[in-house]
Amino acid sequence: MNIIKLARLAWRNLLRNGRRTLITLLVSSAGFAALAIVAGYMEFTFYGLQEMTICRGFTAGGGTGHLQIFRKEALDREERFPLEYGIGQNQTIQSEIEKEKNVLATIPRIEFNGLISNGEKSISFLGTGVVPEKEIKLIDYWNQTNKMTNSRRMDNSAYLNLAKGAPNGVLVGEEMAKALDAKVGTNLMLMSTTVDGAVNAVDVTVAGIARNPMKSIDRYYLVSHLETAQNLMFTDKVSKIVVVLNNTGNTQSAIPSISRRINGSGSSGSFSIVPWQSLAEYYYSVRDAYNIIFSFTGIIVVVIVFLSCANTMLMATMERVREIGTLKAIGISNSWISLMFLLEGFFIGLLSVAGGIVLKFLFSIIINNSGFRMPPPPGMTSSYLLNIFPAMEFLPWISLLVIASTTLSGLLALIKIRKISIVNSLSHV
Amino acid sequence: MKEPIIARLDGISRYYGSGAGQVNALENITLSFDKGAMTALAGPSGSGKSTLLHILGCIDKPDKGTVLIDGIDTTPLSLEQLSSLRLEKIGFVFQSFNLIPVLTAYENVELPLLFKELPKQLIAEKVQEVLAKVGLLERKNHYPRQLSGGQQQRVAIARALVGNPSMILADEPTANLDSNTGKSILDLLFSLNDRESITTVIASHDPAVLERVGKVVRIRDGRIFPD
Repeated sequence: MNIIKLARLAWRNLLRNGRRTLITLLVSSAGFAALAIVAGYMEFTFYGLQEMTICRGFTAGGGTGHLQIFRKEALDREERFPLEYGIGQNQTIQSEIEKEKNVLATIPRIEFNGLISNGEKSISFLGTGVVPEKEIKLIDYWNQTNKMTNSRRMDNSAYLNLAKGAPNGVLVGEEMAKALDAKVGTNLMLMSTTVDGAVNAVDVTVAGIARNPMKSIDRYYLVSHLETAQNLMFTDKVSKIVVVLNNTGNTQSAIPSISRRINGSGSSGSFSIVPWQSLAEYYYSVRDAYNIIFSFTGIIVVVIVFLSCANTMLMATMERVREIGTLKAIGISNSWISLMFLLEGFFIGLLSVAGGIVLKFLFSIIINNSGFRMPPPPGMTSSYLLNIFPAMEFLPWISLLVIASTTLSGLLALIKIRKISIVNSLSHV
Repeated sequence: MKEPIIARLDGISRYYGSGAGQVNALENITLSFDKGAMTALAGPSGSGKSTLLHILGCIDKPDKGTVLIDGIDTTPLSLEQLSSLRLEKIGFVFQSFNLIPVLTAYENVELPLLFKELPKQLIAEKVQEVLAKVGLLERKNHYPRQLSGGQQQRVAIARALVGNPSMILADEPTANLDSNTGKSILDLLFSLNDRESITTVIASHDPAVLERVGKVVRIRDGRIFPD
């Protein structure tokens, strides 16, 4: 008896026991699909969080972009006064970076803070000075090249309003607007420290009320024109240059070539290039928390899949007690019978993988087209469309798991049956 | 000239349960089976004849005594070795036929041969040959549910016969059949015994069986009783 002959026998048994095979297949295929959908949702969540970090960010400073360029000292030393280590002649550097083939845009930003007042009440703000037309490029990246577009289109109207309100327009957070009783068109005053250490103020007009994804930041959220921020601080420097690439996957590979352009070929240059991952503290903390939740959910699903497979295989095998007794009585050894059951479980596993893939993609299509919206994640303000990603890299592992489950559970069922004596199993009904 | 012995049971005892509830299914049975002979184990239900047949067929082990099949002492054999012995030397015919329902008549008969190292062509020839012997060649592609009780028992006999065993053990082979069909099954077993000299042991309490068999071993309460 060779293994091919035994495999043929096992395959024949599966085909002939159609009802039994179908029930087992349905259970294990559903298990595969459940795991793959969890993996697809997990991938969607992590991808969404990653791209959200890049395009919009979870701080008052906006999206991290793919890379950020700083003066080296800005990262190594504490500034004695604002923008001591800011970047001068930023446009020359930006033009140089934009020559890189994977670079979609470069965005200069100033980070500043101070007080905002309506004449009666003053509250603190965390501001960012931006070029609205450039910031829109980051939103365009999300809307045009991003897999998340189906789930959620990003609105650029706030930046368009800011552009229209040049040069003294500002965007303020909803909570800040409430606190200052401000509406679009309300005149306010910004006060901050200049690079010389003096206090300066400029008049601004509310060009739009923006909604920061993080509720806690909304009360301090302010975006002004770069020029307004520079006027306020008496400087022509910027805090950093944000680089938008054509694909997040190109982040690491873009660093050396951009570094060559702005730092020259030597190892010591004036600028540091920081990838988004190093700026995404919130992303990693959420990812870590989600990893625990998904791992826990995954373990529960795996246990349910295994128990369901084991139970179905046991029921299917219990129906065959008499058959097993007969096989043993006519001289077929326990090891051949075990191997045959192992092969049957293995084939069921293979078929379940095929069935599970079909089920997974079928349910993904249904879910992705259902328009079902998920509630806002903790600390965020807007819901999003539920989406299940293909999660292709998880499929081989899930396949292995399901095949192992069906094969092992078939064997476990057989071990239970092997305890029944031949004489008793011959008369088993 | 006396025929050589194909199987011998020596001082066989078999108990079920323990303590006060212990049942002595067989008590100190010593018995020999001659090569090519037809023997009947007779007795009422619960007498121990099926237990004796199971022990003789090496699908049950005695609590005491030894079983010799074709000169081999089965006592020290492992489960795998006993399987191998059954595959090579013993053919079973059961009261309820015990055919595999999802296999055709041909496939049921073929099954024991698949576990022997035989070429495909030879397997096919042997299966066709035994199916022809039991008169079911035309029905070889039928599933058990498509066959009558008598036909199913013929398939079971073909399955027992296909491996050229040293002996065929039949446990109440006519019990689930009407008298005419039972008679035809007996005719088949007798003709195979006559033509091919296969040692046949039938456990039965059917008078129609007992009156045709030359050697009848009567068992009651686990002991052999003289005629």
